[in-house]
Amino acid sequence: MAEFFFNIDHGYLEALVRGFKGGILTQADYANLVQCETLEDLKLHIQSTDYGNFLANEPGAITVQVIDERLKEKLVTEFTHIRNNALEPLATFLDYITYSYMIDNIILLITGTLHQRPISELISKCHPLGSFEQMEAIHIASTPAELYNAVLVDTPLANYFVDCINEQDLDEMNVELIRNTLYKAYLEDFYGFCKQLGGTTAEVMCEILAFEADRRSIIITINSFDTELSKDDREKLYPRCGKLYPEGLAGLARADDYDQVKQVCEYYSDYKALFEGSGNAAGEKTLEDKFFEHEQVKLNVHSYLHQFHFGVFYAFIKLKEQEMRNIIWIAECISQRHRTKIDNYIPIL
Amino acid sequence: LQESSIFRSADMSLCQLFLQTDAAYQCVAELGEAGMVQFRDLNEEMNSYQRKFVNEVRRCDEMERKLRFIEQEIISDGVEIIEPAEQFRAPQPKDMNDIEASFEKIEEELVTINTNTRALKDSHIQLWEMAQVIEKVKMMIDSGHTRHRASTVIHEQVTHAGIFDEHDSKDRGGTELKLVTGVMRRDRVVAFEKFLWRMCKGKVFIRSHDCEGEHDRFDEDEEKSVFILFFSGEQLAQRVAKICSGFHARLYNCPEEPVARLTLHKQIDQQLRDLNDVITRTLEHRTRVITAAATSVYAWKIKVLKIKMVFHTLNMFSIDVTQKCLIAECWIPTNDMDDVRDALRQGTIAAGSLVHPVLNEMEHHETPPTHFTLNKFTQGYQNIVNAYGMADYKELNPAPWCIISFPFLFGVMFGDVGHAIIMLFFALCFIFFEKKLISMKIKDEIFNTFFGGRYIVMLMGLFSLYTGFIYNDYYSKSIDVYHSSWATDANDNSCWKWQGLTGALFRKGYEQWEIDAAANNQTFEIMLDPIYCYDTEAGPYPFGLDPVWNLASNKLNFLNTMKMKSAVILGIMQMTFGLFVSLGNHIYNRSLVDVFFMFIPQMLFLCCIFVYLCVQILIKWIFFPVTPTWVFGKFYPGSNCAPNLLIGLINMFMMTPRTDGFGEFKNTTNYNVGDDVNLDDFVNDPNCGLSFWYPGESIAEKVLLVVAVISIPLMLFVKPFYIKWRHSRGLSIGHSHSEDGEFSFGDVMVYQAIHTIEFALGCISHTASYLRLWALSLAHAQLSEVLWDMLLKTFAFKVNGWLGAPLQFIFFFIFAILSVSILVLMEGLSAFLHALRLHWVEFQSKFYSGNGIAFEPFSFEKAIRIAEGLD
Repeated sequence: MAEFFFNIDHGYLEALVRGFKGGILTQADYANLVQCETLEDLKLHIQSTDYGNFLANEPGAITVQVIDERLKEKLVTEFTHIRNNALEPLATFLDYITYSYMIDNIILLITGTLHQRPISELISKCHPLGSFEQMEAIHIASTPAELYNAVLVDTPLANYFVDCINEQDLDEMNVELIRNTLYKAYLEDFYGFCKQLGGTTAEVMCEILAFEADRRSIIITINSFDTELSKDDREKLYPRCGKLYPEGLAGLARADDYDQVKQVCEYYSDYKALFEGSGNAAGEKTLEDKFFEHEQVKLNVHSYLHQFHFGVFYAFIKLKEQEMRNIIWIAECISQRHRTKIDNYIPIL
Repeated sequence: LQESSIFRSADMSLCQLFLQTDAAYQCVAELGEAGMVQFRDLNEEMNSYQRKFVNEVRRCDEMERKLRFIEQEIISDGVEIIEPAEQFRAPQPKDMNDIEASFEKIEEELVTINTNTRALKDSHIQLWEMAQVIEKVKMMIDSGHTRHRASTVIHEQVTHAGIFDEHDSKDRGGTELKLVTGVMRRDRVVAFEKFLWRMCKGKVFIRSHDCEGEHDRFDEDEEKSVFILFFSGEQLAQRVAKICSGFHARLYNCPEEPVARLTLHKQIDQQLRDLNDVITRTLEHRTRVITAAATSVYAWKIKVLKIKMVFHTLNMFSIDVTQKCLIAECWIPTNDMDDVRDALRQGTIAAGSLVHPVLNEMEHHETPPTHFTLNKFTQGYQNIVNAYGMADYKELNPAPWCIISFPFLFGVMFGDVGHAIIMLFFALCFIFFEKKLISMKIKDEIFNTFFGGRYIVMLMGLFSLYTGFIYNDYYSKSIDVYHSSWATDANDNSCWKWQGLTGALFRKGYEQWEIDAAANNQTFEIMLDPIYCYDTEAGPYPFGLDPVWNLASNKLNFLNTMKMKSAVILGIMQMTFGLFVSLGNHIYNRSLVDVFFMFIPQMLFLCCIFVYLCVQILIKWIFFPVTPTWVFGKFYPGSNCAPNLLIGLINMFMMTPRTDGFGEFKNTTNYNVGDDVNLDDFVNDPNCGLSFWYPGESIAEKVLLVVAVISIPLMLFVKPFYIKWRHSRGLSIGHSHSEDGEFSFGDVMVYQAIHTIEFALGCISHTASYLRLWALSLAHAQLSEVLWDMLLKTFAFKVNGWLGAPLQFIFFFIFAILSVSILVLMEGLSAFLHALRLHWVEFQSKFYSGNGIAFEPFSFEKAIRIAEGLD
């Protein structure tokens, strides 16, 4: 039934976001971008795409930094417009999207403070989608409890943070644990929210979020080898909303090396394929890239094949983010004259 | 003589242009002024940044950026940008540096001023905030002394500090109680307080107060609040400092002694005054720079736009191997070749080059773009046609006929003199103030739609005026000019259903009759039956509709058949005309097969069925009166036996057997054609309206039907097989089917089948579709009648006495507003859309393919309009 009334509340925004998605760079655009000799060429070419004149008012020489800022600015403008026009439950859904950026920002700030970086420098690196009022005061907190009580208690992340309070110090290891615990709680919450929304939204989003959860579990496992993280602690970090739950996660929890992880994933046809084509040798894509590709192409792009659901909004932000990474990658390669790896972007369409 | 005309698109030549590198810029600039040449991109495979003049384009981009910046500054200062009416030619390339330099200078100047103002502003704000802090501290601490003497311990100590500052300060200099004052954004104060409370576990006392007062110097600032923190302890101090920096609070050290505070306050006031002077001077300087820039920024914009366009165009040229000349390919209307040569010559002279550019016409097999020479009058009609599809090259253009037929069909649907006058008035206003309105450069889309179509609206108004006179409709009322020729006489009461009437209908007045009838508890109704009420001697009303119909209760019975039939006649006329236009196309293409096996069968099909119907309508109008008479050698007993055309048409298709004549004479009588007949001697056929009513009708209709049926296979099969035959002989098979180079008989056959079916079915459905002329006209008339009745007749005119005057006054306004908004605007729009549809679908489908490519000349004028948002 929800489909019948979808357009009353969200039709405009869905149309808008589909329009935005139409502006995503195609293979032909990338082929042209890759040929650019200088950033000026890049600017000239990107003017002919949907980005239009977003760099036209930049005085002086273009730098990668500037491009990055403008790209983010554009994304934020678009997102804010959508968010401002959104009605419930889409508004909450969009808020959920920003939570992951908030988590990233918090972790960035804490790690930065641990390394004694000035706060202003850190703030400029934060993703604007995930900024919140108390963000800049984070560096005052020295323990997780303080962090929770003073900073996060008013933010929507407070619920996710409850599990981390008993950590003693904010050292690098704990920050990493906090990040993963937060993400776990966030993914499970978001998953539950989408499930509760039901309909096509649940169908599409649960698929994406389940993959995201499994991706995190696998990456956590692989990265945890040869660290002091115990297997029990590791298991606590696995988001329990993916397809790997429960047997796969149990398997991952017992894994001791890469091959065992691979063995666990053998049982899941989707992941098996990803493991097979990956490797660290030149010319091969890394597992991360493979995961990204799967998430982008298979899941996010496919979400546009359904109608009347919120997945398109999530997919749009994620695709745009990937596109920004691509552009920045190409721009970096151009500006550092490091053309051999310029083709390592992940094409979207 | 090949006149470039509106009937067919202008002849185009594909030309090759050799330009000397030095003179290329000037020549292209001249061509841009002339706006007659469409260049082809010869470097399509090249990226925009690989082209030759990419650096120049980039410089233009940079100039445009600076201009935008300057414009922004001008707008933010509220200075008006002056747009001089004069023309600015594209500057010489060597002048580019000067222009660039002047922008550079202004931009730099503005940037310095901006940084200066920003610095000044910052210090101004800081001083102001400091003053605020001092004021608030004084207020809070001093008021605390009088009112909250015993509120808190901390507070009390501070209060003491207010009074006994001399010796107290010595005690407190060390660790005891610290006071931090600062300013922050007002909307963050609550979060700040909460945060402080949590982080310092409630050990910090905070007072905050909103800043107020003079702060109008820089309007973009947000509102701020002063806060004062009291706490003790070194660790807490660090913490507080961190939190403050986290919330972007600016801290100010405020002396605790009132005297020191007072002196400081005075100092600050003095500094603020000085600063204000400086700021005023800086802003004055800025205003000078901005006003100077505002006078020339428009000219610069135009110039930079032109330079950029020229270089864009040059980027489409290919470069000769010797690098000495640029080669361009372009479409030029053949008639304008001389003008183009002139422009090139001028360009060469301006560039001071000695070598003349070479313009060669090329052989080609491409479809040229379509170009019509238009003026402001024909432009609107061409836009209507182009909205459907751009004409093929050299195809007959429907626009010239639309000039009359479009407003006419509109008028048929919109016929009302009153509404037409309003419409005409608006259109004439637009036309009269044309120049003024154009120079105002109004960017509103809706206004521009109406303004762009002002000549269409004018003709629409004129034609609705004409049809309004014919319908005798003035805001749903009729005017009796020539005196009605319907029986107004007397003692024959069959025309109106109220007993006891004497005298002429109009002598006493319709309204009076109604009142009289009401007085007798009866309704007054006029039923106009031509047998009794029509004054045959007076003859028909000389022009248009007899006004008496407006009063008759059988008005619609009469009007509907009349309007319906005229709609069908008009429609079939227009479709037949459309077919003749297609003949023009066939003859122009010298395609005999199209003439004989497309046009002629189509014409036969249309004539045998639909033109025949129209002829029947006309005959019925002329030869069938209400009274019994002899028609075509048959006795016609009266209007109940008038031939039924619609059923007749169906019977023609079904070949239903029908009787001949309208009935039979009784055996006892013997009449010759033309004799006076005693009606009692004649027995009407029960279906007399469906019988054959002219001699030989049965044969004639069969022949017509057979011809129509035979023409369909002619249309369908001959042309495809002819094309196949030509193809097998290796002859050219025309341009339309050979695009991909491969000949497929199946495709041709399917294409032809679709066309044939479309035509045959189209004739039927299109004829029916023209009935919208009647339907809309009826709707319009009824709507305006309802408006009149509901508002004026039932309310305003009903009230007698002094109250009537204000009531009429008020109701007239409602009537006027609704008349304009609903009847003129809304109904006008709907009639417009229907007229549009009738032209696009019913008329143009008979001949127009509309698959052409528009000629888009390289023109500065057009580009400037686009840049200004007018197109």
